[in-house]
Amino acid sequence: MACRHNGNGDGHCIDTDVVLVEIADIIGLIVLGFITGSLSATLGIGGGIIFVPVLVFVFGFGQLEAQGTSLAIILPTAFVAAFIHNRAGRVVWKVVLVTAGVGVLAAVAGANLAIRMDEVILRKAFAIVLALLAIRMARRAVALRNASAPLDGS
Amino acid sequence: MVGAAAGFLSGLLGIGGGVIVVPGLVLRVGLSQYSAAATSVATIVATSAAGLYAFSGNGVVNWSTAGVVFVGAAVGAYLGARLIDRVPEQWLAGTMATVMAIASIRMWF
Repeated sequence: MACRHNGNGDGHCIDTDVVLVEIADIIGLIVLGFITGSLSATLGIGGGIIFVPVLVFVFGFGQLEAQGTSLAIILPTAFVAAFIHNRAGRVVWKVVLVTAGVGVLAAVAGANLAIRMDEVILRKAFAIVLALLAIRMARRAVALRNASAPLDGS
Repeated sequence: MVGAAAGFLSGLLGIGGGVIVVPGLVLRVGLSQYSAAATSVATIVATSAAGLYAFSGNGVVNWSTAGVVFVGAAVGAYLGARLIDRVPEQWLAGTMATVMAIASIRMWF
């Protein structure tokens, strides 16, 4: 609809609506990256929990493509965060060795087992575990706030 | 144990490990929210590399989109890691609890 002639007199035109949508998409993707990247570095999450649904529901990706693309963003992002954290001496490498080593092996085992197990039951069981952990984490946040309250009051 | 559970679930359910590694490190291993975030993110470098290797073989990675998102993500990750110690620990724990609650709801449905 919004078509501007390209000035060459050959009848071709530039669809400004499409160009604007593409620019908006690119800005949206960069903002998505910025928000998720800062959450990733400060919370210690990969960011797939944000990337995958946004890529699927906002940008129209298929589930598998969204997961693969999400991993391709997470790897270099986690590297940047880990590099800076390590320079500040915050990474406990002894723990990384165990979690990463066991994690990679278990991921392979999990991917193979997933085919044979009832995924719905597993998902729901995991959802419950995660909800219980979320409650414990929230209580920790409240406890930390109460512990620091006397300092704020002085 | 934490790594095994995280890796197992991420392979099984296609989620990242962080949402389970961080509470494990904080509530069980006893790390601070700061060390847990740093340690988890270092773990994720390895686990996401393994996951990406598995995915890229199937050609379902949209590299150009990943590149565009990474432009923002690199800046966010750099600033987040640089400024994390200015964020009070209870905020980190509270935000993490919120993310975990959202993840839990998504898992259920």
